[in-house]
Amino acid sequence: MENGKECLMGRNLRLENLTKTFGTLTAVDHVNLEIEEGEFICFLGPSGCGKTTILRMITGFETVTEGKIIFDGKVINDLLPQKREFGIVFQSYALFPNMRVEENIAFGLKVRKMPKKMIAERVDQMLDLIGLRDWRNLYPAQLSGGQQQRVALVRALAPDPQVLLLDEPLSALDAKIRVRLRAEVKRLQQELKKTMIYVTHDQEEALSIADRVVVMETGQFRQVGKPIDIYKFPVSSFVADFVGTSNFFKGHRTDNCVNTGKRKFKVAQSGSIPEEEVFLAIRPEKIEVFKYGEPPAHLERSNLVPGRIDVVTFLGAAVRLVINMDGEEVISDVIEKDFEQRQLRQGEEALLYFPPEAFIIYRAREGSQ
Amino acid sequence: MTGMTLGFLLAVLTFFMLYPVYDICRLSFFKEGMFTLKNYAAYFTNPRIFRSLTNSVYVSLITMVITTVLAFFFAYGLTRTTIGGKEIFYTISTFPLIAPSIIQGLALILLFGRNGLITRYLFQTDWNIYGATGIVAAECLYCFPNALFILYTTLSAVDTRLDEAAQSLGASALKTFYKVTLPSAKYGIASAAALVFNLTITDFGVPVVIGGNYNVLATEIYQQVIGMQRFDLGATISVILLMPSVGAFLLNYYLTKKSYALISGQARPFLQPSRPFKRWAFTIYCWIPCILILIVFASVFLGSFVKTWPYDFSLTLKHFDFPSLGGYAPLWTKFWASILDGEWQSMIAYKYAPIWNSFWVAILVAIGGALLTLLAGYIVEKKKPRGDQVLYTLSVLPAAIPGTVMGLGYILAFNKPYYFFYGTFWIIIINIIICNFTLGVLSSIANLKQIDKSIEEASVSLGANPITTFTRVVFPLTKTAFFSNAIFFFMRAMTTISAVIFLVSAKVKLAAIEIIFLDIDGRTASANAMCTIIIVIVVGMLVAMRLITGKAGLKGMSASA
Repeated sequence: MENGKECLMGRNLRLENLTKTFGTLTAVDHVNLEIEEGEFICFLGPSGCGKTTILRMITGFETVTEGKIIFDGKVINDLLPQKREFGIVFQSYALFPNMRVEENIAFGLKVRKMPKKMIAERVDQMLDLIGLRDWRNLYPAQLSGGQQQRVALVRALAPDPQVLLLDEPLSALDAKIRVRLRAEVKRLQQELKKTMIYVTHDQEEALSIADRVVVMETGQFRQVGKPIDIYKFPVSSFVADFVGTSNFFKGHRTDNCVNTGKRKFKVAQSGSIPEEEVFLAIRPEKIEVFKYGEPPAHLERSNLVPGRIDVVTFLGAAVRLVINMDGEEVISDVIEKDFEQRQLRQGEEALLYFPPEAFIIYRAREGSQ
Repeated sequence: MTGMTLGFLLAVLTFFMLYPVYDICRLSFFKEGMFTLKNYAAYFTNPRIFRSLTNSVYVSLITMVITTVLAFFFAYGLTRTTIGGKEIFYTISTFPLIAPSIIQGLALILLFGRNGLITRYLFQTDWNIYGATGIVAAECLYCFPNALFILYTTLSAVDTRLDEAAQSLGASALKTFYKVTLPSAKYGIASAAALVFNLTITDFGVPVVIGGNYNVLATEIYQQVIGMQRFDLGATISVILLMPSVGAFLLNYYLTKKSYALISGQARPFLQPSRPFKRWAFTIYCWIPCILILIVFASVFLGSFVKTWPYDFSLTLKHFDFPSLGGYAPLWTKFWASILDGEWQSMIAYKYAPIWNSFWVAILVAIGGALLTLLAGYIVEKKKPRGDQVLYTLSVLPAAIPGTVMGLGYILAFNKPYYFFYGTFWIIIINIIICNFTLGVLSSIANLKQIDKSIEEASVSLGANPITTFTRVVFPLTKTAFFSNAIFFFMRAMTTISAVIFLVSAKVKLAAIEIIFLDIDGRTASANAMCTIIIVIVVGMLVAMRLITGKAGLKGMSASA
């Protein structure tokens, strides 16, 4: 495994115009993507966006309506699922309840008629990978959810699949374990340098785990990119809204000013078209909040707005404020230290500052930049 | 793979179910290739035969009302009150399923017959129970567990919080019952009623032993065919019997679906402790059917061991030496005949041959039936190929067809020289499997529904082919259901009468059928003894299965969908 880079070309997985329709419904709509060997790709989107359908087409459990799935230079549209050598991890674990942990892991090796001794070695190796050697003789029902999913993970990895596909593998687990297992999956991926395709509706999970994230909506790819780029530079109001939290203002842009009706914000970019309808998006952590009446002098006056702090929620290191600005609700995350120092209180007036460069501007009509 | 299995199952069901029924219809409507209603005219103009229809409907309706009401309050006691001994009540109420339906008839004759313990011995009266009264009483006991299963499921699934909500809003207990409990269980009640109607109108065993001169459709078919060799009239009566039974079946099926749709996933089966009066009332109430059932079994047991019921109660085993109803069983007869001689030889090797036959037939039916219904369920529930709905419909249909009709259909369809299996045990085995296909498939489907689709996909994605997936993953997971299906088929094979009575012969004999022949011959005590032996075998099998699989129980084994 250490010599995993011997193959220079790489066994890439390519989706070409991939389409799936169920009756009149188009679940996946002409999508294109090249996944490199060893890459960790995450499909992210709300439920019903088609991400699981793509995964199921790659696994072979769903037929392809149109387009091609190409692996290692060969079209595999019609290859039987059991011939694809792709490992799958399911949301429901799908461990065989009638088999012990080690039998579960050995299953894929046994059906490949691997010699007994090699199976035993491989099973040990896999159990060590997840630190469950002592649990090998238990049945799935005797394990916790997190342990079960670990077993499911190495069961899929045991036959050394070309690609590992994970279908919302952590969504049945509770929050703490989810975060821990997330890190474990990431570690395994980096150790084994295995191509992994991961489907989730949890944006935090997607951003923290993947090399590249594919944001999907209604069967189409809305944005493909590195997690940091997707968070910082969402290409549409949908992405901005779905990935992380954003505040939106609808307004009318003239030069580098946007008039939202109630107020005028100064923005950093000037538009190419003289006058147009736009959406302004701003992340909660970009908004600064001060006690009423004492803003630092150097700030842009027009981007200072008074408001009342309606709700205060402690998130640990940060404090989330819901602020009412003359009827408009804005969400702002303030680091805990600032919250204390600036003596912000629920129910009191405050002054909000929207830095001009923090706004992302979308054209209102198509909701994209 | 899937296509081949589907084709095979469709062919089996078409050939062994649709074809015989088609043959019956053909015979009743056609004479020498010409369409005619002559048979129907003959049926409706002969008052004695025509009475069988009104008689059937009459006893079925009365049985339906009594059984449904009795079973409803019994189920209510088990699900909605905090009485003690629920397990015992439940277990006793399932007893009628392990015996042939005639057992209730035999017991009632022992108690209320011409030489009944109660009628003759205690009250010295000439009144006896033969006729409609006997049929209704016996059928009520026989149908009780079947109705109970449906009502028990319904009542335990309906959200008890609705009752609590109604009471907290100030409704009295009685008002809550009428306005909330009863309406929420209405589909279950109606479906239980339809099932009881169907079971009663199609039953053959009870009316044949206790009906006396009171003829019903199921016995009339047998009379016409076996007694008078009037196959055309038998077929005509069969078609007439098909209508109410199919109607009741469809109604039951439709209502069961509706009733399950009402079941809320939120139901909380938490019960407040019942008030003492309610507890006592329901405890006493629940004992009544249980005691009646126990009396039935006790009388038949006792009746098979005493010298001359009800005059001489000294114990004897002589009734177990069945009077010259000898038969022949492959292997068995040869084996015992070679090592025994004299009286023992004739008893074990010949007279006990039907029991041995029944046992082996039941074993083969159990294996074959459980396998075929699991396969059919697997294809319908998991594979869903094109045509799966046809298979589903054909699989569910057998429950609608009365056994006597199926039996007659088999004679008409297969009594031809080129059907080598006719007149052998194989046709009996096939017939019993087909007649009980419905429940086997439905319980397989219910069980397979619980297996996550991903488990099979996991197996496939790990490289297993469909056969490995089925044998290594799906089958082990359905093992419990498979065994309980096997037990169900075994019990049905040991106890069934109505269809196979047309298929037995001097060479091919079965224990349950012998009960009827013994009874007709006036050998009531031996009939009881044969019944006892069947029960012992069935119970022995249940116990063995319980030891093997670690669990058993009769839950979900009724004739209900």
